[in-house]
Amino acid sequence: MAAIEHFIHGDGDRKQALVVVFLRGGADGLNMVAPLEDDGYYRARPRIAITKAKALALDGFYGLNPLLSDLQTAYKDGALGIVHAAGSEDDTRSHFEAQDLMEHGGIVGGGWLGRFLRARTAGTSGPLSAVALGREVPECLRGAPAATVFSSLDDFTLGANHARLMTSLARLYEAQPDDLGAAGNSTLEAVRRIEVLRTASYQPAHGAFYGDDEFSRGLLQIARLIKTRVGLEAASIDLNGWDSHFGQSTVMDPLMTRLAKGLGAFYRDMGSEMDSTTLVVMTEFGRRVAENSAFGTDHGRGSIMFVMGGGIKGGRVFGKWPGLTQDVLEGPGDLPVVTNYRNILAAILQRHGAGATLDKVFPSFEIQPLDLYA
Amino acid sequence: MKLARRKFLKVGASGIALMATAGCDQMPRELRQLLAMVNPGGGPFQAPASDTIDPIIHALNRAGFGPRPGDYQRVCKLAKTPEAAAAVYLEQQLHPESIQDEDADYEARRFETLQEPPGELFEYQPELLQNELMRATLTRAVLSERQLFEVMVQFWSDHFNIDPSKGDCKWLKIVDDREVIRKHALGRFADLLRASSLSPAMLWYLDGRVNRRANSADKPNENYARELLELHTLGVHGGYTQKDVMEVARCLTGWTVRSTINPPYFQIGKVEFDPALHDFDSKIILSQTIPSTDTTLSKDLLEQRGRHELDRVLEIVAAHPATALHIGTKLCRHFIADHPPQAAVAAVSDAFRKSGGDVRETLRALYQTDGFLLTRGNKFKRPFTFAVSALRATGARTDCGVEILDYLKRMGHAPFNYPTPEGYPDQASPWMGTLLWRWNFAVAMSQNQIKGTRVQLDALRKSAGGDEHLMAHFLGRKPNPAEAQAFADSGDGLALMLASPAFQWC
Repeated sequence: MAAIEHFIHGDGDRKQALVVVFLRGGADGLNMVAPLEDDGYYRARPRIAITKAKALALDGFYGLNPLLSDLQTAYKDGALGIVHAAGSEDDTRSHFEAQDLMEHGGIVGGGWLGRFLRARTAGTSGPLSAVALGREVPECLRGAPAATVFSSLDDFTLGANHARLMTSLARLYEAQPDDLGAAGNSTLEAVRRIEVLRTASYQPAHGAFYGDDEFSRGLLQIARLIKTRVGLEAASIDLNGWDSHFGQSTVMDPLMTRLAKGLGAFYRDMGSEMDSTTLVVMTEFGRRVAENSAFGTDHGRGSIMFVMGGGIKGGRVFGKWPGLTQDVLEGPGDLPVVTNYRNILAAILQRHGAGATLDKVFPSFEIQPLDLYA
Repeated sequence: MKLARRKFLKVGASGIALMATAGCDQMPRELRQLLAMVNPGGGPFQAPASDTIDPIIHALNRAGFGPRPGDYQRVCKLAKTPEAAAAVYLEQQLHPESIQDEDADYEARRFETLQEPPGELFEYQPELLQNELMRATLTRAVLSERQLFEVMVQFWSDHFNIDPSKGDCKWLKIVDDREVIRKHALGRFADLLRASSLSPAMLWYLDGRVNRRANSADKPNENYARELLELHTLGVHGGYTQKDVMEVARCLTGWTVRSTINPPYFQIGKVEFDPALHDFDSKIILSQTIPSTDTTLSKDLLEQRGRHELDRVLEIVAAHPATALHIGTKLCRHFIADHPPQAAVAAVSDAFRKSGGDVRETLRALYQTDGFLLTRGNKFKRPFTFAVSALRATGARTDCGVEILDYLKRMGHAPFNYPTPEGYPDQASPWMGTLLWRWNFAVAMSQNQIKGTRVQLDALRKSAGGDEHLMAHFLGRKPNPAEAQAFADSGDGLALMLASPAFQWC
């Protein structure tokens, strides 16, 4: 009943909203966070590397792509951490296989986020505990106790007869003495709260400005749901199209701009709510270190992950830099995976109350949570 | 006659062309369907007239997914008293093979990929297969006359849960549903257990396929062995030890499945036993010794001995008294109450043991317990049952399509979507958070907003003989004054009935 109680008391999201952003298509970490002090980087990418002059300084070794400048505030505030050379053990370099493995968390039934929500809440969850922005529930949420594809708040109303039906339902459920009565009353309260939200206009806080693209609009809706405290525990949103085989900058530049603007607006809008929220950005694999003849990069291995949220020892790039010498590179010349993505997610899930359930979330894997938090 | 789906679609728009193409044996079915469009529920029907749920509604609720228009009346006629009529109905349901089921067969035949042999399944996109499996399951639950059979299919699908998103289960769960669960749902537990243990999907799902000892350094994979004891047979407090788990795992080393990820890449899905990967040293399982085998024996003999160890293990665990208690308890929880009375559990476990694990005999005993006969309307419908009972009660015409599945996903109860081996929970509390979506579904049904699903409320009301009877049909008893008042005030009586507290119970 705990999750339902949260509905009534309006503290359903304390320390528990996790937003997962998946960059589908294999986003090139080296083009987002460049190892400025590794000469190998410039040798491998004579035409498409980010120059030291253009890069935004991070820590003396890495530099941020200038198109990601909207991430600087969170980074400087210490609320954004970057993990470099992150990824999974899947070395097929196939989009489908790599996404499948990453979202399931290995060869295992259900998605990692779905298993986390099942295990953590012992099966009891509010109806809005997990939402996916877009058209379908992603595999990472497979098996969640409640997973809702969310397109509009209108989906949550009770139709044209809303008010009369609510009154009649209230009369019947209020008369129920058992758990169902309590659940009914909490649900009525949730519907009322959503109704207020639905009919009110939303003004992002602290002067945050969301773009008019689908990704930013999605993040805005997520911020809104978190702030309204409808019991949101997990949200998933994708930003697709990172497969930059041809004309790296034509493909990636607009996406990076959208990503950074969206995350920047979300961070600003959320303000202190960010203390109880974590946003993680992941991709199925990175790209080949060396550029190809078409000013692009081919499928590779290690990439980056962003972690933004309360309690993180941010303002730094995590993970040991392996170098880019021939003996280090994997297969056809790819940045190896130094930090398995599970160890990043494990640290986050611990903060979100995973407790002893982590081995259910990531079975058949020796978890060593990355030291993300202070 | 088998009608190819593509061919069907080509001609589906024209009724005349359809009859011409389908041949005479399809015509009555088609005509009945046309009639059903005019007259859902097949004409006037009788609704229950008692103040509490009577034995007939109880039987329809528990041994099935709730009454359709006309079901109550049909069962009433089976005997003179409601008690006797319910008993006759339950006995009929225990013999699905003698129940005509052409409506459900006809509709389910659309999902033709589900009939493919294992090798052919790998030609299809997994999403397509999983959708067809979910839709076929939903279709049968809504339409089948063999309601108890479908209930038991669901029961065993939870008991031997496999989430098809793992590895080659994407394709092989189809085979498991057909050859394991459906084949043995009302048969002998030992047969079901054996089929499950050698189901290629189960070997994938619980890692049996990588449980091996090629050399003395290899440690067996205990995953299946543990769930076999903990979930499938003895139960978590069934008296086995960690040592037993390890010993069972050793007995089962060497079984594997040809897969999409390892060569050879033909006969994918085939289950094999390789004596070279089996541990032939002696083991002790639940105090019974499995002797060692001399590994210098011929390959054929080794294979025979190694395979036999699986049979020995299953024999020991299936016949263990803890297994009878475990299965008996789960059946009582499903059919009687979240916390079933001790006497019922004892009687059902006893029947399981005495019948040698005969599921039919065990259920027959269950239906005679006071626990079953006297506790009515006290099981909280799981979301699947809620949605199916709403589709049945309204006599809705439905394609059991993705929109219904989407609702089930929101409620966390789409078929075959449970990630971990214990299967969907069978008690009320984990499902209490699903009311918002149940109400939403109720409104969408009432307003005919679900694509592919249609309710003809006016005709239904007329067939029931007015609002009072319509309410009794949905609630399984006469409405109380508060319900009647809420119905009148709601502005959407059908949505209110489906969303009401009473409709959440069965």
